[in-house]
Amino acid sequence: MAALAGWAGAETRPRYGGTLRVEVRLPGDSADPPQLGPGMADLNGSFVIAQWDAGRRAVYDASESAPGGRPYLDRIEIQLARPLRDQSVDLDLGKADMVELGPNELRRSPAGRRIWPSAPVRVLALVFGPHVDDARVREALSLAVDRGAIHRVLLQQQGEISGALLPQWLTGYAFLFPAAADIARARTLMSGMPGGARTLTLGVDDPGLRPIAERIALNARDAGLAVTVAPNADVRLTEIRIISTDPARALAYVAAAVGANSPARAASSEALYAAEKSLLDGFRVVPLFHLPDVYGVSPKVKGGPGVSPLGEWRFENLWLESGRP
Amino acid sequence: MTFRTRLLLIFTLAVIASVGLVELLVLNSTRQAFEGVEAQRVDALVGQFQKEFDRRKEEIVAAVNGIARSEALRTIATSADYPTYYDAAQDLASTRGLKLLELVAGDGTIISSAEWPARFGYSEEWLTHGADWHSLGAFLKREELADGVALSLLAVGTVSVDDRQVYVVGGQELDREFLSTLVLPKGMRVLLFRNLDPQFSASALVGDTRIGDAERLQPLVLRVLGDRRETTRIVGKGADAETFPALPLPGYEDTLLGVLLIASSRRELVELEASLRSTGIWVAAGGILMGVMLAWWATARITRPVQRLAESAGRVAAGEWGTTVEVASADEIGKLARAFNRMTHELVEQRQRLVQAERVAAWRELARRLAHELKNPLFPLQITVENMQRAREKYPEQFDEVFREGTSTLLAELSNLKQIIGRFSDFAKMPAPEMQAVDFNQLVSETMRLFEGQLTQAHIAAKLDLARDLRAVPADAEQMTRVLRNLVLNAIDAMPQGGTLTVRTSALSEGIRVEVSDTGQGLTPEECERLFTPYYTTKTHGTGLGLAIVQSVVSDHKGHISVDSEPGKGAKFRIDLGG
Repeated sequence: MAALAGWAGAETRPRYGGTLRVEVRLPGDSADPPQLGPGMADLNGSFVIAQWDAGRRAVYDASESAPGGRPYLDRIEIQLARPLRDQSVDLDLGKADMVELGPNELRRSPAGRRIWPSAPVRVLALVFGPHVDDARVREALSLAVDRGAIHRVLLQQQGEISGALLPQWLTGYAFLFPAAADIARARTLMSGMPGGARTLTLGVDDPGLRPIAERIALNARDAGLAVTVAPNADVRLTEIRIISTDPARALAYVAAAVGANSPARAASSEALYAAEKSLLDGFRVVPLFHLPDVYGVSPKVKGGPGVSPLGEWRFENLWLESGRP
Repeated sequence: MTFRTRLLLIFTLAVIASVGLVELLVLNSTRQAFEGVEAQRVDALVGQFQKEFDRRKEEIVAAVNGIARSEALRTIATSADYPTYYDAAQDLASTRGLKLLELVAGDGTIISSAEWPARFGYSEEWLTHGADWHSLGAFLKREELADGVALSLLAVGTVSVDDRQVYVVGGQELDREFLSTLVLPKGMRVLLFRNLDPQFSASALVGDTRIGDAERLQPLVLRVLGDRRETTRIVGKGADAETFPALPLPGYEDTLLGVLLIASSRRELVELEASLRSTGIWVAAGGILMGVMLAWWATARITRPVQRLAESAGRVAAGEWGTTVEVASADEIGKLARAFNRMTHELVEQRQRLVQAERVAAWRELARRLAHELKNPLFPLQITVENMQRAREKYPEQFDEVFREGTSTLLAELSNLKQIIGRFSDFAKMPAPEMQAVDFNQLVSETMRLFEGQLTQAHIAAKLDLARDLRAVPADAEQMTRVLRNLVLNAIDAMPQGGTLTVRTSALSEGIRVEVSDTGQGLTPEECERLFTPYYTTKTHGTGLGLAIVQSVVSDHKGHISVDSEPGKGAKFRIDLGG
């Protein structure tokens, strides 16, 4: 698996000390630093929060009483709400040691840059609101989306095209869910529909997803749907993280994230497939892609990889080339 | 209306008509001249705008060709991985200042779109039809955008590397923003009607629009769309009016995609015309005023001699026969004045001759009358004296008796002569009336009582018809009594066979009327005419002074006497006296 290839090649002569400067695009605007989930929450145990400027900056110091021993790094400074493009520039200018890379940044990355990718752990999906009660409209939109063009151009072939909620690497049956566009059928579904039913608004949770949303809107026009990208949306293009390697747990979390009823605990792959299929019937949720977390890393960061296949941060074994001996 | 007023009115009307006509002609020709200048100005403005528009086209072509020749585009063209460049158009467009830019692969597939980034992978088939993009330059095209349809000004450049070709389709959207960047002369605004929808809609009109433009310009736009040729109209009224040359804008496929409306304000022209009109009105008013004053002066100058002539003629009519007018010119008026003077001079001479002739005639009449009056008593005197002489010579014994009879006759005739002389004396010595309020009903009644016996003897019935409440009028009672007596005696004389004498009084609006009428033999018109002439009489006896005295008295009372009569139908004498 390509995503796991970065685990190889750890430095053999670790050093103590130094501050790892990390930049992320998502804002942490809660009063307290996150306690659960990948990212900063993964630092708990090895690092302790030292400073929290909600929405802007978090500083973690190495924990002397970490279960696995004190980390090599003294401190981790995390800058929040940093745009992807700026993160990439900061990495190039040496202002950051570890940044997120979007498809465009990945495309523009200079040759030889160190990249730590996770497995495809984010599912990008269309989630319809309760107002869109005509299943034909939902199905037409799902059939109109040209996933291939988006994957090829906008995602620069990052991640996987999928019609399933859970990724192929996690369940092994994701390929069974259809993901191909069928404009002719979409048009057929929309024929005879009144004008009001053909109009939808599409919202995005992350501004970085807007180009994908606009492409979906363009595809929808071909099917006879008038879709505009707007904040108050009938349907949202949203990203849901796979938080567990346990497919059943992961499916339950995804179902909760999209507002669907929690599926029954599946004991087998068949049951899990059936549960997922039942979630997708009715086209309330239309999975589009599974995307990995991809980080660009400065050459002076040693050890690692600092990201697990699920995208969790593993910084306790990293050190900096210029750190104290 | 006087001659002078009429003349002044004619002059004034002539002046107003002339000035008005001249004013109208001047204003009309001035307006035509200004309209011509305005048309030239509008043409120049349109030409200037078209140059600016062409310059912008050239800029677009240059920008597109610049992109096509850039290293970046060569890199894209040589790349086998077009998806990598799906956002390249946005940077290139912003670098070249283009709002619209698409990079299209040789097969017509969009590699990157600046205006609609999501359109990558879609096809632009029209590019693959083999047009000569270089000679075509910039052209108009209907363009589908994410937020609707737009009218765009595009140019196409190409870059070929080996067997790969990439089209560069770039330009500007013809919208309000584009129009606002055009450098326009002062007083000019540009509007663009984008003919992208089947029906005319106000939203299709962009540019420096104002409230109501859509409604006002719709007929012009539809006209241009129908005729497909440039049309110019004046839209609006007064100072807000604008001249709108409307240019059809054909598109790439020869469809009419828009109408360019270049508005040029007519405010300056209208204000200039208004100023001219105002000045013209003031000048005309001044001209009319001056004309009226001149007309007044000329009228006075022309009519003054005529007025003097009229006044002189009036004085002549009033009896001033010797009136003359001053001759101050040698024109027709002068000739008229001279003729007038000649006429009055001749009138005076004729009147003097007439008076002289009348005086001679009067003396002759007087001599005749005196001879006639004196002859009657003188003849008995002569006979009586001769009888007395004959009786003394031949019959002395009878002389005493003859003498007694003769002296008696002589005394009677001498008395008669005294009476005749007295009447003449009375006429000569008519005194001025002593005016006092006289009740004519009473005067008539008293006078008629004096004639009761005489009327009875002459078998004449007297009839009084007196008006009630007849007011007293100023008169000399004694003289008026004499007038009435004379008229009654005249009437008695006119009815030797008897008849009816009627005396009637009546009130006039300003005075009274007394009528004395008889049923006698009447008078001929000639007799009526001469009746009041002194010493004229139709009777075999009398001095002919009775009615002359009557007329004299009435005249002295500022009254008027007249007679109505026809032969055989009696006569009616009418006296009107003022109050």
